[in-house]
Amino acid sequence: MDNALRIKGTRSQVVEICVNDEWHEVSVRPRHMLVEVLREMIGLTGTKDGCEQGACGACTVLIEGAPALSCMTLAVDCEGKHVRTVEGLAPDGRVSPIQQAFLDQGAVQCGFCTPGMLMSITSLLERNPRPTVPEIKKALDGNLCRCTGYNAIVDAVLQASGQGVEPLMK
Amino acid sequence: MILYEFDYERPASLEQASAHLRRLGDSARLAAGGTDLFPGMRVANERPATVVSLGALSPAPPTRQPDGAIRIDALTRLAAVADSELIRDAAPMLALAASVVASCPIRHMATLGGNLCQDTRCLQLNQKHDYQFKPDCYKRGGAVCYPFPNNPPGTCWSVHLSDTAPALIALDARVEIIGGAGSRWASVESLFSGSGMKPLRLAGDEIVRAIVVPAPAARFGWGFRKSARRGGLEYGASVMSVALTAAEATQTCRSARIVIGAIRERPVRALQAEQMLSGAALDAETIAQAAAAVAKEISPLPHHGFTRSYIRDDIRVKIARVLREAADRALGADGQKGEADRG
Repeated sequence: MDNALRIKGTRSQVVEICVNDEWHEVSVRPRHMLVEVLREMIGLTGTKDGCEQGACGACTVLIEGAPALSCMTLAVDCEGKHVRTVEGLAPDGRVSPIQQAFLDQGAVQCGFCTPGMLMSITSLLERNPRPTVPEIKKALDGNLCRCTGYNAIVDAVLQASGQGVEPLMK
Repeated sequence: MILYEFDYERPASLEQASAHLRRLGDSARLAAGGTDLFPGMRVANERPATVVSLGALSPAPPTRQPDGAIRIDALTRLAAVADSELIRDAAPMLALAASVVASCPIRHMATLGGNLCQDTRCLQLNQKHDYQFKPDCYKRGGAVCYPFPNNPPGTCWSVHLSDTAPALIALDARVEIIGGAGSRWASVESLFSGSGMKPLRLAGDEIVRAIVVPAPAARFGWGFRKSARRGGLEYGASVMSVALTAAEATQTCRSARIVIGAIRERPVRALQAEQMLSGAALDAETIAQAAAAVAKEISPLPHHGFTRSYIRDDIRVKIARVLREAADRALGADGQKGEADRG
């Protein structure tokens, strides 16, 4: 990936991006952001396109394991990189523990922020398997929930990390 | 919203990137993390014909130099700065400052060099929507300033909102800059011009390569606070950073650096308060006097809904706590390092 590259704005370049362990060849122009490529070229519409300026976090994906805002990441810059989206959390159609915790705690309201929340939490739990409440809030400071259901989301993270929260709906 | 078509350059090294910038001149912009540039391009604040992306370059890990200074690659992500054991140990103020920038995903994208080299902001300049058709302001080459209509042409009162810059200036950090003539060194303080039109003293082809934080002197103490409403994903009303050293075996201050960010076109030092502190006893009375002196000598610009008088009062109250923290650390009353203190 250390090779220099030059693309004219009106020309496309084929780049290979590994999304959820599957390599995709996509033809992109420099202006294409990763979120457009994921949603419109690869067809993974789980990742949401919200504010497009880094304020809402709905487009959060994991690039090489680190949370990143796909609305502010050039798709050409992702050449050869591993991207994980919310679809990758349930590869065989079975929900992951964190998704199950969201269901148990009623942490999904309108659902628009949920994919970004799930990816931020996935990254947090990979770095820190038993986060405290302040650590959870710090990791979620870039994900806005305009239904304001934050408490249930924090409870869901506590449940998913095995820290004793009574399930609300069981 | 779909971005306009622009050309893309992905250099294999910083030297190559500098050569691209030299060749393309003002029509090119550098993108490291892109978290400042791309939102600006969306609202047409920036319209570079070419984006030179540093996405292919990976930063060298932070290292301790033989003289005890810490060298940090400018492309180090802010999350990596905040989490680095070496930086938390040697420059806990910088780690804390990096950990309060914006939000978790942005800290994983944005770089330390980019945080220093970010553009200044003002509400009018940065909250334009694509459906608004207003004549450009001074900064965009127009003939009007909307928030400050009495400003003469060429005067832009936009605010430099970096959280790490005040900490780095207080720590007396230096930057290595590469450009057409090779590399040069400058203090972080001298990087800022104080002009809202062009906030950085960098030539068109110059790129910050590394930041070097010197080893602290004996009996060193620091204090840092970002004054903000929510404590996450926002710009500070002000960013206060204090570094002081106590004289040997006494309760007096030998030297102090007080830097306030997010109030002007550049982070500013409170020089009179610094002078007042040096040689004085670090007691409650001196600290209250120094805090009042800081509030008196700074001249904050109203920004992001905070008025001049609010920012001044806010700083007077909170800088006293920051000074107390720094004094306690310098005098050894507080052995704790890197505890989070925001709000």
